[in-house]
Amino acid sequence: MDVVMPQLGETVAEGTVTRWYKKAGDAVKADEPLFDVETDKVSTEIPAPASGVLAEILVAEGVTAKVGAKLAVIRESGAAAQAGAGTQAPTKAVATTAPPSAHRPPVAPAVSGERLSPVVRRLIAEHRLDSGTISGTGRDGRITRDDVLTYLSQGGGARAVAPSGAAAASAPSGAATETLLLNNVRRRTAEHMAKSWSAVPHVLQVVEADFHRVEQARREEGESWKRREGFGLTYLPFIVRAVSIALGKFPRLNASFAGDRLELHRRINIGIAVDLNFEGLVVPVLKDVPSKSLPQIAREGNELVQRARSNRLKPDDLTEGTYTITNNGAFGTVITAPIINQPQVAILSTDSIRKRPIVVESAGGEEIVIRPVGMLAQCFDHRAVDGAYAAAFLREVRMLIETRDWAQALQA
Amino acid sequence: MAELTYREAVAAGIAQEMERDERVLFFGEDVAAAGGVFKATVGLLEKFGPRRVRDCPISEQAIVGAAMGAAMTGLRPIAEIMFSDFLAVCWDMVANEIAKARYMTNGQLQLPLVIRTANGAGSRFGAQHSQAVENWAMAVPGLKVVAPATPADVKGLIAAAVRDPDPVVVFEQKSLYATKGEVPDGEHVDELGKAKVLRQGKDCTIVALALMVHRALAAAEVLEKEHGISCTVVDVRSLVPLDTRTILSEVAKTGRLVTVEENPRLCGWGAEIASIVADECFWDLDGPVLRITTPHVPLPSADQLEDNTIPSVARIVREVREKID
Repeated sequence: MDVVMPQLGETVAEGTVTRWYKKAGDAVKADEPLFDVETDKVSTEIPAPASGVLAEILVAEGVTAKVGAKLAVIRESGAAAQAGAGTQAPTKAVATTAPPSAHRPPVAPAVSGERLSPVVRRLIAEHRLDSGTISGTGRDGRITRDDVLTYLSQGGGARAVAPSGAAAASAPSGAATETLLLNNVRRRTAEHMAKSWSAVPHVLQVVEADFHRVEQARREEGESWKRREGFGLTYLPFIVRAVSIALGKFPRLNASFAGDRLELHRRINIGIAVDLNFEGLVVPVLKDVPSKSLPQIAREGNELVQRARSNRLKPDDLTEGTYTITNNGAFGTVITAPIINQPQVAILSTDSIRKRPIVVESAGGEEIVIRPVGMLAQCFDHRAVDGAYAAAFLREVRMLIETRDWAQALQA
Repeated sequence: MAELTYREAVAAGIAQEMERDERVLFFGEDVAAAGGVFKATVGLLEKFGPRRVRDCPISEQAIVGAAMGAAMTGLRPIAEIMFSDFLAVCWDMVANEIAKARYMTNGQLQLPLVIRTANGAGSRFGAQHSQAVENWAMAVPGLKVVAPATPADVKGLIAAAVRDPDPVVVFEQKSLYATKGEVPDGEHVDELGKAKVLRQGKDCTIVALALMVHRALAAAEVLEKEHGISCTVVDVRSLVPLDTRTILSEVAKTGRLVTVEENPRLCGWGAEIASIVADECFWDLDGPVLRITTPHVPLPSADQLEDNTIPSVARIVREVREKID
C-alpha cells in the first residue's frame, strides 16, 4: 500500500515530512504513528494506514511534498503485522539507526550495551548525534541530559534541529550564558521575520483614535455579554470589524505583493497575532470578516485565540490571511512598529488604550474631556502602496471606531 | 499577614466560612466543648453556639451519615473524623454513598460537604492512629482530596473545600498542628487542584505532600549546600484534582522525579504520579523515578522505630544522593 501526503485541511496544498518514526524494513502496525507532517506552524502525527513492513521511504525528513504525493510503501503482510504487534508506539522519538526490536521503541543510535536515559536518547536522535562523541559525567560514565546539552551548546553535532513539539531546552554552558534551543514556532518566526524585515521597505504611520463609543458599548453590554458568552468583551473585535470595513474601501492593503504585480484579495481574512506565554507567536486567521457580525467576530476571534493558546489550532486556521493585527496593549505599550507578515502588505498594531484629556470641538466651542485614547500603528510595504493611500486607510479605521454606534452593532 | 499555628489556621478557616454562610455547620467527636483533641477547633462553640457547632457520639458512621443528610437537605456541613484511620469504619458511607450520590441521581443531589481529619505519623500513636491514608480517598472516584502543608494553605483550602459543590476530604497532618506560618489577613480562599512550586532547581524535581513537603525542603537545602545537587520542590497540595500540568512541566525541566510520601509503599499517591510521568513525560526523563515512602508495614509506636519508618530529611538526602547522578 502506498503512503501518501494527507490532506491536512482544505486550504493546505503541501506539507513537510519532519520525521519518520520507522525506517525502511521496520514492521509497522496500522494506526501507530508513522511520520510527522508540518504545515506552516502546525505539526501533525500521521498513523500508519496499514500493518506490514515499511518497504521503502521515498520522501526523506525535511522534504516538502504535495498533497497526495507518494511518501512510502508499506508491504502488507500478515506475518509481519503479527511480529509488529508487540511494538510500543513511540510518541516523540525519531528512528535513525536503532535496530528494530519487538519491545523497544526505535529511539536513539545507542552503541550496543550502552545505557542511555529516555531524554538522552531523544536528544541524541533529535540532533543526530553520535553518543560515542559525548563524554558522560554521570555515574559509571553515563551520559546525562546536561552532558548532551553542554555538548550541543559548545557547537557539537550538526545544525541543531529542534523538532516540532519539543520544548526549548536550556543548557548551562560555561558560566555566563545559557543556551536556548529554538522550538519549531520560534524557528519559523525567526525565518519569517528576518526575511520580511530585509526584503520589505517598511513605513510606519500612526493615528490616534478616541475609543469612547467602543468603551460605551463595552460598558453597557460588557457584563451581560460576559454572563451570556462566558468570556470578556475586549477591544479587539471592534477593531477587527472596523479594519475589515476599511479594507473593503482600500483593497490595495488587502493584497499580496508579487514582484511585478499586486494581487488584490477578494476575501478579507484577518490574522490575529497571539502570544503563547512568551514561548512563541502564532497568527490564526479569522476568515471572511466582512460577512460576520460583531458578536460573531468576537466569538470566533475568542475561539481562535483560545485554540491557539491551548495548541489546538488546525492547519486551516493559519492559512489564507490577507491582513494582520497585533496587539501588545496589555503590557502598556504606546506604539509598536510591527513587521509585515509576508506576502501581506500591511500590519496594524493596536497598543494600550488609556484615558487621556483631549480637546473636543463642537458647536458650543472647545472643551477638554476625558476619553479612552489609543494609537493605531500600521506598517505598510512601500513597494505596494504609498503613504497617502495607507494614511487614508488609517483615517477611515479611526473614523469608524470614533463614529459607529457600537452598542447597536453588538445587538446584531 | 499574621503568624498563626496550623491548628489556629484550621479554626480560622472554619470560622471564616461559618461567618460567611450560615448554612455552614461543624461537628465531630469532642470538637465543640473540648475544642478538638488536637485543639484545632478551639473557640468555635463559643463563637457560633451549640446549634452550629456540635459534639457527636463516638460513631464515625453517624458523623459522616449526618454530614451526608445535612448536605442533601441544603446545609454545608464540615464533619471531623478525629483520626483519619477511623475513616475505615465510614468507608461504605464515604466511598459508596457520599462519593456516588451526584452521579447516581444524575445530579439531582449535590453533596457540598467537607470531611476534615487528622492524618499521618509523628506522634507515637501506633498502628491504628498514625496512618497516612490520603491515598485511600484518592482511589475513590467522586471524592476530592487535599492535604495542606502550611497554615495559610490549610485555611485557604478548607475555605475552598467548603465552597466546592462536591465532597472534599481535607487531610491535616497531626505533626503540623503546632507549626507556624504567615496567613493572609482578611478573607483567604485557595483553589483546589493547584500544586505549588516552592523551590526551583536544575537537577531533580521532588514532589511531596503535607509533612513531607517540609522534609523535602530541608533535604533540598542540604543537597544544594553540601552535595551540589539542586532540587525543585513541588507541594502537590491537592491529590484530586491533581495538578499534572505543574508536576509534568517541573519534571520535564530537570529530567528527574523524586516523590516523597508518607503513604506505605504499595499504591501510595507517588505511584500514581510516577505512572503519569512515565506516560506523559517519558522522553524527558534522565533516569529512573525515585519513590521515597514509608515501608509497607503497620506503623510502630516506639519513638525510634516510628522515626525510622516515615521518610526523614536524612533519608531523603541519602536516597537522592544515591540515585541522582
